[in-house]
Amino acid sequence: MSLIRRLRYRFMKDVGAPLLMGLSQKTRKRGARKPNPHFGPNLKNSRRLKEIMARHYFLSRYAQGAKPVAWVTSGAPVELLRAFDFYTFYPENHGALCGAQKVGPELCSIAEEHGYHRDLCSYARIDLGACFSGMTPVGKLPKPDLLFASNNICQTVVYWYKVLAYHWNIPLIIFDTPYNFEEITEKDTSYMVSQFKEMIPTLEEISGEEFNYERFLRIIRIAREASITWGKVLGTMKARPAPMTIFDAFGHLAPIVSLRGLPVALNYYRSLLGELEDRVEKGVGAIANERKRLMWDNIAIWYKVRDLSDTFAKHGMNFVTATYTNAWAETVPQLDTNYPFESMAKAYSLVILNNNLNHRLELMQRLIKEYQVDGLVIHSARSCKPYSVGQYDLKRLLMKRLGVPSVIIEADITDSRVYSEEQTRTRLEAFFEAMGH
Amino acid sequence: MKELGTRKDYLIEQKEKKGRKLFGVFPAQYPKEILWAMNVLPVEIWDPPLTITHANEHLQPYICSVVSLGLELIVQGKCDALDGFLFPHTCDSIQNLASIVYNYLGMEKPCYFFYHPKASSRDSSRAFYREQLTGLISRLEEQLGPLDKSELEKRVHQGQQIARVLRELYDLRARGELDASNAEFYKVIRSGEYLHPDDFLPLLEEFLSSAKGSGSSGKAVVLSGILPNPLEILALLDELGVRIAHDDLLCCGRRLPAPAGSAHDPLEALTDSYFAMPPCTTKNSPVNARINELLSKIEQTNARGVIFYIVKFCEPELFDVPQVSGELKRRGLATLVIDCEVNQILTGQVVTRVEAFAEMIS
Repeated sequence: MSLIRRLRYRFMKDVGAPLLMGLSQKTRKRGARKPNPHFGPNLKNSRRLKEIMARHYFLSRYAQGAKPVAWVTSGAPVELLRAFDFYTFYPENHGALCGAQKVGPELCSIAEEHGYHRDLCSYARIDLGACFSGMTPVGKLPKPDLLFASNNICQTVVYWYKVLAYHWNIPLIIFDTPYNFEEITEKDTSYMVSQFKEMIPTLEEISGEEFNYERFLRIIRIAREASITWGKVLGTMKARPAPMTIFDAFGHLAPIVSLRGLPVALNYYRSLLGELEDRVEKGVGAIANERKRLMWDNIAIWYKVRDLSDTFAKHGMNFVTATYTNAWAETVPQLDTNYPFESMAKAYSLVILNNNLNHRLELMQRLIKEYQVDGLVIHSARSCKPYSVGQYDLKRLLMKRLGVPSVIIEADITDSRVYSEEQTRTRLEAFFEAMGH
Repeated sequence: MKELGTRKDYLIEQKEKKGRKLFGVFPAQYPKEILWAMNVLPVEIWDPPLTITHANEHLQPYICSVVSLGLELIVQGKCDALDGFLFPHTCDSIQNLASIVYNYLGMEKPCYFFYHPKASSRDSSRAFYREQLTGLISRLEEQLGPLDKSELEKRVHQGQQIARVLRELYDLRARGELDASNAEFYKVIRSGEYLHPDDFLPLLEEFLSSAKGSGSSGKAVVLSGILPNPLEILALLDELGVRIAHDDLLCCGRRLPAPAGSAHDPLEALTDSYFAMPPCTTKNSPVNARINELLSKIEQTNARGVIFYIVKFCEPELFDVPQVSGELKRRGLATLVIDCEVNQILTGQVVTRVEAFAEMIS
């Protein structure tokens, strides 16, 4: 790592980023949006969230050469990398951001021009489009020294990272998590633990740092605490009215995905939790008139979050839980500093998408009961096969077992070209009717 | 050569006369020798000749036709004669299909899952694979009774003999010394997807002795992808005088083990065999390894190009193709990328593209 780049990174972290955030706040104040009558007051912490994520992306521009940079999949055990002080960048989070800013189709098209089929995951196509063109709404992406992928969320991320590894001729470390067709076994766990131990010399070589066990334990502790706090944040939505909508949570998810294991994420969720608990105490709801409570299944439709949020709020319907946001609260709390590698193997291999569909069904049943859910909206996402294959049966079984009405929206996470406004409207109208509106 | 009867008649005979259990096995990598040793005949489910009518109730239209047709076969009740299913962990769609069948369809037949490591270059992968083999045996023993070790040794040896004959057939074909059309060649090779080794090995040996000789001198190409379906593609290439001199197909060439090593222990031999197989997208082989494998096949066969014949929506293949074909093009080789649904009739557009490709490599 170069000394000049380190100094520049340090300067940007201590001086440049705070300055920029201050300027950005002033600009934002001038352009504040009108309040929407269907919603409660905005969350104060939303501003802080924007600052944290803007700072993260801003600093990523200066990380190259100052710190070892790793691109990491959202479900990978990043705690191990943090012990070597990697600057971690999350292409999936960047994909979501591009989707929300509605530049998904443009970046996907660039990847398609390079031969990547339109049927492929749109997070991957956005990322490849950004790599090939240098275009991104965040200014610049840091070139990685290492790629770190875990197939606990899908096999797709590994195929995608293989493309990146070849493109840049850099190492790709795969954390292989055997799929839990029935139950995770001790053999599975010991296989995963062996992989961690095999990774350490490679991480030492790339980062130029020795593995510091004490630091690793500290990171595990912070990650665990942040995940527990994130779970409590989500848990506030059990209250009636819920103090937040799941559409808010899709945004507030970013630190637990991208900054897991860092104090900034933990501090942020503590602050957010405080605000939400205060709202619950005062009976302040996220939407003005919460008549029905819904659950969301699958990743968000990033380019439609605002529209869908408005549509449902107008009908007095609030999304109070989602399998997606729950994923980062479900297993990471199992991290245990007494058995860091074993607990990390279990925490990361037991995530929703690495589990059989019975597990998902039971989880959804539990969430429906705990959050007093009246209806379910299922996003069938072309990009995400492990999340989507099985949803038709889930819908049928949840109706049969719990009598919960549901609707399936056929769409995509970031590629709006496959979204049919007409078809979605028709389906939602039928759903609203079934829900008694 | 002896004509193969229908697959259905053969399977009924295996069950009723030979007393073998029949397992439906989804693609692609699994230790078939263990099943043979337990008197189970694995019947691979790649491309049943069906029209999808019921699977749509369970699967979205953006799921590949190998998975959809496999499920269709089950929900149409055409697997009633089977005694169980085995789902190797090949891709996200097969993974979830396994869970749909096992968890949601109320299936009373035993379902087994076989996970093979996805980061195959590490020491831990080898140890884990070996454990997966013993784990599968233990689970099968609960249904089928204890495994006879000497029977496993026999079947592993038989598997090595099959691999040896297959390699010889591929070598002859690569040199243009096998008198068989593309369609004939793959009909014989793919019969191993359901024939018992006691029948498959003699069939291969007979094919070898009858077809050995001067073969087609047609333009050589390598076929890459999942499976050669629809069969019309093979007939079309035959018509155009294009010989598939080697393949990088998941159902064929990518499952061809290297010559047997020195291991005496059957599980060790199976482990060796698995790790010595050619690179494959479904095992997360690096792009470089796949390029090198194709280049070696091209060199071995003097092929003039590669046809990437991809099943629509197949993510593992679709991610690799741009870089692999791009590198081949940079080296002056012709490439053609086609994506098709399984069992779909070749469209006029595909035929034209294949014809143009054949002309280009002339």
